[in-house]
Parts: sequence; C-alpha cells; structure tokens
Amino acid sequence: MCEIKIEHLTRNYGGGKGVFNLSFDVKHGEVFGFLGPNGAGKTTTIRHLMGFIKAQEGSCTINDLDCWKDSEKIQLKLGYIPGEISYFDDMSGTEFLKFTANYRKIHHNLQKDLLERFEFDPKIKIKKMSKGMKQKLGIVAAFMHNPDIFIFDEPTSGLDPLMQNRFIDLVIEEKKNGKTILMSSHIFEEVEKTCDRIGIIRQGKMAAIDSAAALKERHVRHYNVKLENETLAESFAKDFNGISNGLNVTVSARQSLEEIFMNYYGDDRK
Amino acid sequence: MINLTLYKREFKRSIKILIIFAAIITMYVSIIISMYDPELMKTLDDFVKAMPQLMSAVGMKANTTSLLGFMVSYLYGFILLIFPMIFCILRGNGLIAKYTENGAIVSLIAAPVKRRTVACTQIAVLVSGITILNLYTTILELVCAAVNFPGALDISKLLIINLGLFCLHLFIGSICFIFSCFFSDTKYSIGFGAGIPAFMYILQMLANAGGRAENAKYFTFFTLFNPDNIISSSNNSYINIFILLVSAIALYISSITIFCRKDLYI
Ligand SMILES: Nc1ncnc2c1ncn2[C@@H]1O[C@H](COP(=O)(O)OP(=O)(O)O)[C@@H](O)[C@H]1O
Ligand SMILES: [Mg+2]
Repeated sequence: MCEIKIEHLTRNYGGGKGVFNLSFDVKHGEVFGFLGPNGAGKTTTIRHLMGFIKAQEGSCTINDLDCWKDSEKIQLKLGYIPGEISYFDDMSGTEFLKFTANYRKIHHNLQKDLLERFEFDPKIKIKKMSKGMKQKLGIVAAFMHNPDIFIFDEPTSGLDPLMQNRFIDLVIEEKKNGKTILMSSHIFEEVEKTCDRIGIIRQGKMAAIDSAAALKERHVRHYNVKLENETLAESFAKDFNGISNGLNVTVSARQSLEEIFMNYYGDDRK
Repeated sequence: MINLTLYKREFKRSIKILIIFAAIITMYVSIIISMYDPELMKTLDDFVKAMPQLMSAVGMKANTTSLLGFMVSYLYGFILLIFPMIFCILRGNGLIAKYTENGAIVSLIAAPVKRRTVACTQIAVLVSGITILNLYTTILELVCAAVNFPGALDISKLLIINLGLFCLHLFIGSICFIFSCFFSDTKYSIGFGAGIPAFMYILQMLANAGGRAENAKYFTFFTLFNPDNIISSSNNSYINIFILLVSAIALYISSITIFCRKDLYI
C-alpha cells in the first residue's frame, strides 16, 4: 500500500524553476530519501504534501486523502519538520511546545522524552535560539504527538554531529515502529543510513529512484592497497577509514552527490 | 469554528494595545465631557432657534448644543474614529500577514486545524478587540456624563450612535483583515490596510470642509456613519449602519475564502 503518492505533480514558477511532472510514492513503513541539490524542488514538493500550496497539475495524496482538500485530516497523524524553523519568536520554546500541544489537542505527549534525548532545554525565547536549537525544537514539535507519517525537510541542518546521530537513531527507531517517513536532504550520507529507497531530484525532475543499497553500490569505489608492513597497514586503515587485512587495506570512496547527479544527467549546467 | 488555544494567545497580544488606546480614550472623553458648559450651550441654542440661518452658516445646528451634540462634535470626528482604526490596522495585519511573511503560520497550518478555523479565530480576536474598545467607550461616556451632568445625556441616542461607530469599525477591521489575508507581504498588507481607511478619512475631512469638496462624501465610507443624522433621527442613518454591518460581514467571509485558497510559501 502506498501511504504517500505523488502523481504528475507540476508547479511552474517560471524560468525553468519549480517541479515538473513529478511522480513517486512512499510505501507504508518505508523510509524514503528525497535527495537533491539546493533549488532542486524538494521544498516545493513537500509544500504540496503539507497542503500549503495547491498543485497546478497532477495530484498528491496521503492515505488516499487529497493533500490540498483534506489537509487537516492528514495532519492529525503527520509529523513535519520545516526546512526553515520560523515559529512564533515572541514565545519561549517551552511556551511554544505547550501552545502546540494545546493547539493540536495532543493527549499523549512524548515531549519530555524527546527533550531528554536531544539534551534540549527549551526555556529560552525562540528569537534567541541558535539554528541548532530551533532545529531541536522543530524535531520535538514534530514527534511529540506520536504521528504515523513523517515528512522532514532537511531535518539535520544546524545540528552538530552528535545530535545528527541521535536524530538518525530516532528515525531508525520509528522505522522499526512501522512509521512511514519522507526525508529530504542534499547530503547523501544523511539518507543512506536510514532510507530504504532514494529518489534523486534535480531541476524539478526526478532523475532516478532506486533502493539505497543499489545506489550506494553503484557509486562507491573500492581500492585495494598493499603496504610495506602491518603497522603501516593498520595506521593507513585507521587514517583512511579502510579495512586492513595483513598488508592489504581496502578503502572506499564515495562519489559526491554532484558526481552522482552527473552520472544520471551528464553535466548539463554549462 | 474557532480554536480556543489560538484565540487566547492572540487575544493576549491585543491586550497591550487595547490598554494603551483605552487610556487615551479615557483621557479625551473625560476631559471633553467635563468641558461641556450647559449654560453657554443654552444661550447658543436660543440664538440658533432665534436665527437658524445665521447660526447654521457658522456650522451650528440646534442639536449640537445638547451634551450629546457636543460630544459628537468633539469626540466622534477624530478621537473615536482614529484610535480604533489604528487598532484595526495593527491587529488586522498582525493576525495573518505578519505570520505569513515571517513563516510562523506554519505551526498553525501544519496541524489538524482547518484553515477556515484559523481565519475565523483571528477574525474573532479582531472583532473582540473592536467590541471591547467600543463597549469601554460607551460605558465611559455614560459614567462621565452621569457624574458631571446627571440626566443631561440622551442615552438611547448615544447607544445608537455607538452602535453605528461599532459597525464602522467592524468594517474598517474587515478591510484591514482582507488585505492581511490577500498579501503575504506586510508591506502591502499594511499599505492597503492602512492606506485605504486613511485615504477615506482624508476625503471625509475634505467633504466636511464644504463647498465643492463636499462631493468627496460620495467616495468615502465614513459618510455612512453620520452621528448628526442619528441625533436628528434621519431614517437613512439606520440603513447606513446596516450597510456598514453587511459589508463588514461580506468582507470577513471573503477573507476566509481567500485565506483558504491561498498558496502559502512557507
Ligand atoms: N514562491 C516561489 N516563487 C518563485 N520561485 C520559487 C518559489 N519558491 C521556490 N522557488 C524556486 O524554485 C526552485 C526550487 O525551490 P525549492 O523547492 O525550495 O528547492 P529545494 O528545497 O530543493 O532547495 C528554486 O530555484 C527556488 O528559487
Ligand atoms: Mg528546501
């Protein structure tokens, strides 16, 4: 069953910008990575799913409900982290979370657990929060009503590596709980750890959709290096993140996202 | 229909402005009412009755000499029009356009709450503020008049005038609100929401100056609220109040529709 379904979605901003005839779906219990460089159209697509903007052509549905017309029914079971957190900045984080809980009429609130997990003290004014703190606030607000479907727009931006890992752990946990997740990103590493499938979008068009494993395989190169002695081999393995085996070390290099894109498109930006 | 949590938050944000404006209104209303001099007015009234043409040429009509007429001349031309109008402009813009511009509206829309409910709640906040200002003004006027000049005030007429004033402000509020829903940019929301009522007010002042400029009265909605006509029980004045009320309701309903259909780039 497809939980999130986008069919022939078009939103033309003019000047070749927007999304064009985009189709993909996310199945129940799947984590889908929506990968693309800045300006590719990820946020635009997500705005449609969230019911913020109306499709010019094509359609978006979540659980067979129309994302534009039945938005408020979908939102009941949906958790969303915006690309840019811009909540009421006159409130403190605590006030905002309380407001959101009441506004959404949340009965069973997971807030406390989430705050501990991200070591986040929301007492200060949102206006005075750093980007990372706002991001944590966004994460807590998206998870605290225990949704079934998640939509994240570049969720780890602004988080330090430790917190990025905590977030990834949380996503993996939710995946085990059978949640459906759509996550946009412009960093391959971020999605490969969590996603079952990855869709690559560029200039508003879907370039490829493939399983994360296949994409990874296709774009990782392995090198076997033989060193003079074992000590050297071990330190080489350590320095270059390789696997040592006697004198032999295997190191892997991943293509950057841009290289992957070029693989699909050729470099047509010139 | 409305979301109580949002209503409470926004109402709290109105309170500060309401207190400031209530203080200004208190000052003006109490001072002006206390300045009324029944003896002087009685003399003037006799003059007017004796030679109506002469007196009307200098802008004096028979009933302006009553306490109510005095209040109409000194309070209902500026103070009681402008301050509630500024309230409408500030809050009208702040309730929708400001949040659309800074993106804060995302937490209202990305929730199991209909857009219509969000819009209705914000309208309720605006209308509550207007109601409180008008109610407060009315009570203040009644108290000041009762303390200074017991029995001198035509209370039923005052209530009708204030009902008209209330409908006028509902209408101004609806103008501010519809632009707040229409534009995602506070620059334009304020520009139109403040610009149109201000321009109309200037036309009204021109029209009051008389002469050829009097025709300006056909181009401003302020003409629809005419307290002098209410005092002289002119039939039209009731219809005009009704027109203001119906127009306000129509604009509020249109605002809801605009907001529900709007693309939000958040
Ligand atoms: N409201 C808008 N009006 C015009 N162009 C827009 C608008 N929103 C986004 N764009 C343009 O559309 C393209 C896709 O934007 P976006 O979906 O935000 O990309 P991403 O989230 O993948 O970085 C960008 O080039 C952006 O400048
Ligand atoms: Mg984006």
